[in-house]
Amino acid sequence: MNVLLRAEGLVLELGARRVVDGVSLELRGGEWTALVGPNGAGKSSLLTLLAGLRRPAAGRITLLDRELDAWPLRARAAQLAWLAQQGAAEGEIAARDVVALGRLPRHGLLGAPDAADHAAIDAAMRETECSAFAARRLATLSGGERQRVLLARALAVEPRVLLLDEPGSFLDPPHQRTLLAGLVARARAGAAVLAVLHDLNAALAADRVLVLDAGRLVADAPPHDAAMRATLIEVFRHAFSIEPVAPAGGDGRTRWVALPSL
Amino acid sequence: MTSVTRLALALLALALALGVLGLAAGAQGLGLDWAADGALIADIRAPRTLGAFGVGALLGLAGAIAQGLFRNPLADPYLLGTAAGAGLGVVLVLAAGGMVGARFGVAALALQVGLVSAAFAGAVLGMLLTLALARGAGRPMVLLLAGVVVGVLLTALAELVLLFSPEALRGKQVFMLGGTGFLGWSSVATITVVLALALPLSMLLARVLDALVLGEASAASLGLPLPRLRLVLLLLMALATGCAVAQAGLVAFVGLVAPHLVRRWVTVAHGPLLVLSAATGGVLLLAADVVARVVIAPQELPVGLLTALLGGAFLLVLLRRAGATA
Amino acid sequence: MIARRVMRAALRVLSMLPMLSVLCTLLPAQAAPSASNAAPPSIRFVDDRGRNIVLAAPPARIVSLLPSLTETVCELGACDRLVGTDRFSNWPAAVRALPKLGGLEDAQVERIVALKPDLVLVANAPRLIERLEGLGVPVAMLIPDTFDDARRVAAVVAGALGDAAAGERLWQRTEARIAAAASRVPRALRGQRVYLEVASAPYAAGEASFVGAVLARLGLVNIVPASLGPFPRLNPEFVLRAQPDMIIATEGAVAEMPGRAGFGSLRALREGRACGIAPEPWDSLVRSGPRLADAAEVIVRCLERMAATAAR
Repeated sequence: MNVLLRAEGLVLELGARRVVDGVSLELRGGEWTALVGPNGAGKSSLLTLLAGLRRPAAGRITLLDRELDAWPLRARAAQLAWLAQQGAAEGEIAARDVVALGRLPRHGLLGAPDAADHAAIDAAMRETECSAFAARRLATLSGGERQRVLLARALAVEPRVLLLDEPGSFLDPPHQRTLLAGLVARARAGAAVLAVLHDLNAALAADRVLVLDAGRLVADAPPHDAAMRATLIEVFRHAFSIEPVAPAGGDGRTRWVALPSL
Repeated sequence: MTSVTRLALALLALALALGVLGLAAGAQGLGLDWAADGALIADIRAPRTLGAFGVGALLGLAGAIAQGLFRNPLADPYLLGTAAGAGLGVVLVLAAGGMVGARFGVAALALQVGLVSAAFAGAVLGMLLTLALARGAGRPMVLLLAGVVVGVLLTALAELVLLFSPEALRGKQVFMLGGTGFLGWSSVATITVVLALALPLSMLLARVLDALVLGEASAASLGLPLPRLRLVLLLLMALATGCAVAQAGLVAFVGLVAPHLVRRWVTVAHGPLLVLSAATGGVLLLAADVVARVVIAPQELPVGLLTALLGGAFLLVLLRRAGATA
Repeated sequence: MIARRVMRAALRVLSMLPMLSVLCTLLPAQAAPSASNAAPPSIRFVDDRGRNIVLAAPPARIVSLLPSLTETVCELGACDRLVGTDRFSNWPAAVRALPKLGGLEDAQVERIVALKPDLVLVANAPRLIERLEGLGVPVAMLIPDTFDDARRVAAVVAGALGDAAAGERLWQRTEARIAAAASRVPRALRGQRVYLEVASAPYAAGEASFVGAVLARLGLVNIVPASLGPFPRLNPEFVLRAQPDMIIATEGAVAEMPGRAGFGSLRALREGRACGIAPEPWDSLVRSGPRLADAAEVIVRCLERMAATAAR
C-alpha cells in the first residue's frame, strides 16, 4: 500500500492554544481511517491542515510525494477533496448545481462540464441517494438531505485522498450504512479515506483508527489492537466499554462495539 | 420549455411593452404622436427609456453579485462605499461650481469634469478605499465593516462640503433620489459599453458565487484562489454600480430586489441568475420610470422615490411571509 | 436633419473622453444651429462660462430657470417673451401662468424642448446645460452671486434681448430706488447694527452677500463681516454676543426666535425691533436681481414702522 498523504510534526496554534501538537500520520491508498477524539481535541483543525486550508506553524505535509504547498491549487483540488462540517453551507441554488461544483477542479472555472463530468455527478448523487431532490434548492432540504448533497459534492471530485469531517451527521441509519459502504468501496478502489466520526461503532469498523486527544495523536492502529482500544476508553474517560461481537449471520469476523457505561 | 426560458421570454416581452410605453410617456401623460412629437420621441424619450433599462440592468447585475459574494440576501450594490463616494463626487463638483468654488477659481474645472465623471470616479474610489482599508478581498466580514466605515466617512466629508456650500444641497438631494431626466444618447452608449463589459465577465466568474454557497473554506478547497477572484468580482460590481449611479443617481432597491424576484420565480445557478437579475432590474427601473413620468404629468416624480416605495412594500411582503411561516 | 442629429450624438460621445472634452472647451462653441448662414448674426454675448452665445435674432421664446433671471427679463420689458420658468419663479403675477419646468437640478428636459425655446437662461446646472446643448437648444449660464454680479448679469441679459444699454439703465433705476429708500431711513435708526437671518440653523446674510450690499446702501451696519462669507452658518452665540440693534427675518422666524435657547437675551427682540417679513415680499430679499430695490423699500417700510412705534 502506497502512502498518498504524509504529515510530519504538524503544529497549529490558534491564539495561545496549541490545537494540533506534533501530529504525524500517513494515509495510504486502499485504506479507510477513522479519526476520533473528545470534543475540542483538534480533529477538524487537523483535517483543515491536511487539506491545505490552513498553514501549520510547524511540520510538513506531502501529497503524492510532493509538498502540499508546491501543488498548484486546481491540481491539488482534483486529488484531494475535503468535506466540511455542515454548518457553513447555505444557498438558493439547486442540489445538482451544488454537486456539480465537485467537478470544478477538473474542468476549471472557465471550462464547462463534459459527459464524463455529468456521469460522475449523477453517480455521486445516486450513491448518496439524493437524485430525487436534484432540482430542489439547498436551503429547502432537511439536515440529512443536505448532508447527502454535500457528501455527493465531495465524492464527485473522484479524488485520490478524501478527507471528511463528520460525514455521518444528520444521516439516519440506512444512509449511514450506505455512507460507510461508499467509503469502503472507494478505499478498496485505491483511494485514501480519512473520516472524523463521532459514532464510535462506525469508527471501530474502519481499517485503522486514529485517536486524537488535546491536539496529540495518542493512538494509530487497527481496531483489533488492544492497546488502541484501551487508549480510546481512557481518552473518553471510561464513558463506555468496548466489547467484541460476532454478529449472527455475519461472516464470522469479530466486530467491536462501544457500549455506553450506565 | 423550462421555467428559465419562460421567465426570460416574459422579461423580454415586458421590456418591449414597457419600451413602447416609455416612448409614449411624455409631458402630457401617455401619447404616441409621431407626427408632432417625432423629434421629442427620438431625441429625448427613446434614449431615456433605453437608459432607464440599462441603468436598471447594471443595478440588478451588481445586486446579484453583491448578494452572492456576501451570501447575504440583504446585500445591495451600494454596500462598499460606492454610494457615499459617488455622493461626495457630486457634492464636490456642485460646490466647486457654486459660490465657494468661484472664490477658489475652480468653477471652470468643475464644469469640465462634470457631474457624471465625478460620480463615477467617486463610486470607484469609494470601493478602492474600502478594499485598501480591508487589505484586499480576502475576508468578507472585514470588507463589510470597512465598507461601513468608508461609507460613514465619505458621507461626513460630503456634509462638511455642504456646510460651506449650501447651494449644493438641492443638487445632492436630487442625486440621492435618482432620475433619468438627463439620459441622452451618449449616456446610452456609455451604459451599453459598461454593461457589455461587466455582464459577460461576471458570468465567467459566476461559478465562484456558486462555490461560495458551500462556505469559504469549502470553496477554497475546490482550488479557487478566492481573494483574487473576489477582488475581480468586486471591481466589476464597482464598475456597474459606478456607471449606474453616475448616470441616474442613487436609485434605491432595484439592485436589492431584482435577484430576489428572480429567485422567487426560478431556481438557477449564479450564471443564469446574473443575466436574469440584470433583465429584471432593467424591467423594474423602466416600469418605475414610466410611472414616474406619467402619474403626475406634466410634473415628474423622482424615480428613486418610486423604487423606494415599491421596494419597501416588497420587503414588507417578504417579512410578513417569513413571519407567517416562522 | 437626421444626419445632423447623429453627428451631434457622435460629438457628445467623443466629448466623454477626458482629453477630447478639454479640447472641446477650448474650441469656440457654436451653441445654436444657425438656420441661415447667410444673414450676419445679430445677437452676440458672452455667458458666465466664457462661452460666446450667438443667436440669429433677438430671442422670442425664452425659458428662465432662476427666479432672479426671470425677474430681470421682466424688468427689462421682455416678460411677454417668456414661455416657461422654473417652479420658484413667481413674480410678476403674469409669470405664474407660465409652464413650470422643475428646478435647476431636476428640470424637465422634454418639456423645455417641447416649448421650442430659442434661449434658455440657467444658473449652475452642468448636466442640464450639457443635455440641452446636446439637443441643440441655446443655453446661457448666468450666476448672479453678488450685487455687482446682478448688475453685470442684467447687462448680459439686456444684451441677449437685443438692447445692451437697457441693462445699465435698469440698474441705474434700481440704484436710484435704493438711494431713495435710503433717504427715508429714520434718522434715529441710521448706522444701526442689523442681523439678517435667511434660514434657521441659523444662516445669516453677511456684508458680502447681495442683500448685504443693499443693507449697506441703506446705511445699516451688518453684524456679519465680509470675512465670514456671503451666507455663513453661524453659531447662535455669535448673534447673542453681537447684540444687534435690529433683526430682519421672515415672519415665521421672528415669531419663533424668542423661544430659541439664549435668544431671550436679545434686546432687539425684547424691545420689538425685529422686522418679520411676509413670504411674498421676502422673495425680493433673497433673489439677486433688480427686485433688490423692492427689498430696500420693504426694509425701509419696516424701519419706519419701528421708528413710529418707538416714538409712541
